Amino acid sequence: MRNLQKPGVIIAGLVLLAALAAMLVPSLFATHDPFEGVAADKLLPPSESYWFGTDHLGRDVYSRVVYGAYLSLVSAGAAVLVGVIVGAIVGLISGFVGGKLDFVVMRFVDVLIAVPGVLLALIVVAGLGFGPWSVALGVGLGAAGSFTRIMRSQVVRIRNEEYVEAARTLGVKWPSILLEHVLPNSAKPVIALAALELGTAILAVSALSFLGFGAQPPTPEWGALVSSGRDFVATAWWLSIIPGAVILVVVLAVNRLARLIGEER
Amino acid sequence: MQRTLAVLRYVAPKLIQFAFVIWATYTVTFLLIHLLPGDPLLAALSVKGGDATTTDPETLAVLREKFGLDGSLWDQYLGNFLAALRGDLGVSIATGQPVDAMIARALPNTASVAVLALIFGVVTSVVLTFLAFLTPSRWVRQTLLQIPPLGVAIPAFLSGLVLVSVFSFGLGWLPASGTRNPAAVILPAITLALPIGAIFFQVFSSAVLDAMRSPYVFTAVAKGVSPRSIFLRHVLRNSLLPSITILGLLIGYLAGGTAVVETVFSRDGIGRLTVDAVLARDATVIQGVVIVVALVYSVVNLIVDVSYGVIDPRTRGALSGRRSVGSAAVPAVASAVVSAPAGASAPATETALTEAGTES
Repeated sequence: MRNLQKPGVIIAGLVLLAALAAMLVPSLFATHDPFEGVAADKLLPPSESYWFGTDHLGRDVYSRVVYGAYLSLVSAGAAVLVGVIVGAIVGLISGFVGGKLDFVVMRFVDVLIAVPGVLLALIVVAGLGFGPWSVALGVGLGAAGSFTRIMRSQVVRIRNEEYVEAARTLGVKWPSILLEHVLPNSAKPVIALAALELGTAILAVSALSFLGFGAQPPTPEWGALVSSGRDFVATAWWLSIIPGAVILVVVLAVNRLARLIGEER
Repeated sequence: MQRTLAVLRYVAPKLIQFAFVIWATYTVTFLLIHLLPGDPLLAALSVKGGDATTTDPETLAVLREKFGLDGSLWDQYLGNFLAALRGDLGVSIATGQPVDAMIARALPNTASVAVLALIFGVVTSVVLTFLAFLTPSRWVRQTLLQIPPLGVAIPAFLSGLVLVSVFSFGLGWLPASGTRNPAAVILPAITLALPIGAIFFQVFSSAVLDAMRSPYVFTAVAKGVSPRSIFLRHVLRNSLLPSITILGLLIGYLAGGTAVVETVFSRDGIGRLTVDAVLARDATVIQGVVIVVALVYSVVNLIVDVSYGVIDPRTRGALSGRRSVGSAAVPAVASAVVSAPAGASAPATETALTEAGTES
C-alpha cells in the first residue's frame, strides 16, 4: 500500500491501465475510424480534432495508435509467455535431473543468451514467415535462455531442501515432486523476470514490426506506425515520433512496475 | 617452459569455449532454419520471383546444389560447416553473390558505428558518474543517476528519428543517411550509444559505489585526499575492471541494435544485410551473418577474458604458476558487481546481460 504514495508508481499504473483499456476496448477511446481516412485532411499536424495529427491517407494517427495497442501488447505478452513456458520446462528438467544433461543444456543456453535477441527473432521469422505471431515466437525464444537459467538456479537450490527430501522418502513420484514442491517455490524470481522482460518484449516486437516483419499494413501496430511515418519525417514528424513516444512511455511504465515486483520479492 | 604451460592451462579452456560457441551458434541457426516448416530454397525463390517461381524438379536440383541445400539434412549440416571453416560461406540465394564478399563489404560500416557508439557510451557513463560522485548536492546526484536507465527504454528507431529530425532536417548540421560522408557515422553512433551507455552505466556506477565503500577509499579520505583524485586515482581504476566484463556482452547487443539503426539511417552494414536477407528469406546469407556475429562476439569475449590476466595484477599469480588467492577472487568480485544492479534498478535487457555475466 505504501507504494501507492510514490508518484512514479501512480503515473506508471495509470499509463498501464490506459494501455490495457485501449487494448481491450479500442472503440471506446478512438475518436475516428482507424482505417478510413479523409483524403482532404491528409498530413495535418496535431490539432483539437486530430490529437496526434493525420497520415498521408488522412487517417487519424491517435485512433490508429489506440487500435494498435492490441497487436503490440498482445504479441509482446505472448512472447513473454513463450519465454516463460519454454524456459520453465527446460530449466525445471535440467536442474532437477542434473549431471551431464544439465551441463550440456546449460552450455546451449549460454549460446542462446549470447546470440542477440533481435538476430534470433529474425532467424525464426525468416523460417516461419512474417506476421505478429512469428515475431512473438522469435522474441519469446530469444528470452527463453534467461528464464531457463533463473528457473534452473531456483530448482538447484530447492532440490536439496528438506521438504523435497521428505517427499522423496515418503515415496512421492518425481513428476509430482516437480509440480507440487519445486515449481511453486521457484516461481517468484521467474515472475519478477517476466515482468521485466515484458518491457523488453514490447521494444523488441515493435522494433521487428518497424523493420517490416510484423503486422502488415493497413493493420495498425505501434512499430509499423513509426515505420510508415518514416518517409514523412522531414515534413510530418508527428507521424512517427508520436507513436514512438507512446511506446517509450508504456515501456517506462511497465519497467517501473516491474521493478516494484522485483523489490517486493 | 613451466610458464608457457601455465599460460596454456589458463587459455586452453577459453579457446575450447570459443570453438564451442561458434559451433553451437551454427548448429542452433541451422536447426531453426531447416526444422521450421517450409523449404528454405522455395521460400526464397517465391519471394524473388513471385508467381513465376520455377517448380521444375531438375532446375530446383541444380539450384539446390549451387546453394549447398542438396542432399540429406546431415550432409548439408556437415558440408556447410566444413565449407564455413574454410572461409566459404556459400552463395546468396537472392543476389547470387558470394556471402563472404557481401559481409566483408558491410562489416567496416557497421564496425565504425559500433566502435564510436561504444566510445560515446562509455565516456558519457564515466563522466556522468564522475559528476554524480563530485556533486555535494544529494538531489543532483540522485537525478544524475536516474537519467541513464532511460536509455534502455527508448526504442532505437525513436531516438534515431528524433536525432534525424533535429540535426539533419531541422538544423542541417549532419547528414541524415548514407555512408559516403564520414560525418554520417555520428548520428547512428549516438543512437546506438544510448542503450549501450545505459547498460554500461548501471554496471559501472554500481562498481563505483562498491569501491566507495572499500577501506582504501576510507583511508584516502582520512588522509585528506581531494574527492577528485580519489575518484581518478583509486575508484576509477578499480571499478573499470569489473565493467570490462560486460563489454563482451555489449557486442552482442550492438549486433542486434544495428539492424534497426542501419534501417533508420539507410546505411549499408551487417544489420541492413540481415534485414534484407530475412525479407528475401535468404537462408545462406542469414547463416553467414550469424556465424560472423558469433565469431566477432567470441573473439571480443576471448580478448576480455585474457586481458583480465594482463590488466589485473591479482590474476597474474595464476599465470606464473603459483595459485594465488586473488585469481579466484577477482572473477567472483566482477560477477558480484555485475549481478548487483539486477535486483535494484535493472531494466530487462540488463538482467539478461548480467545473468550471462555471472555464470561465465
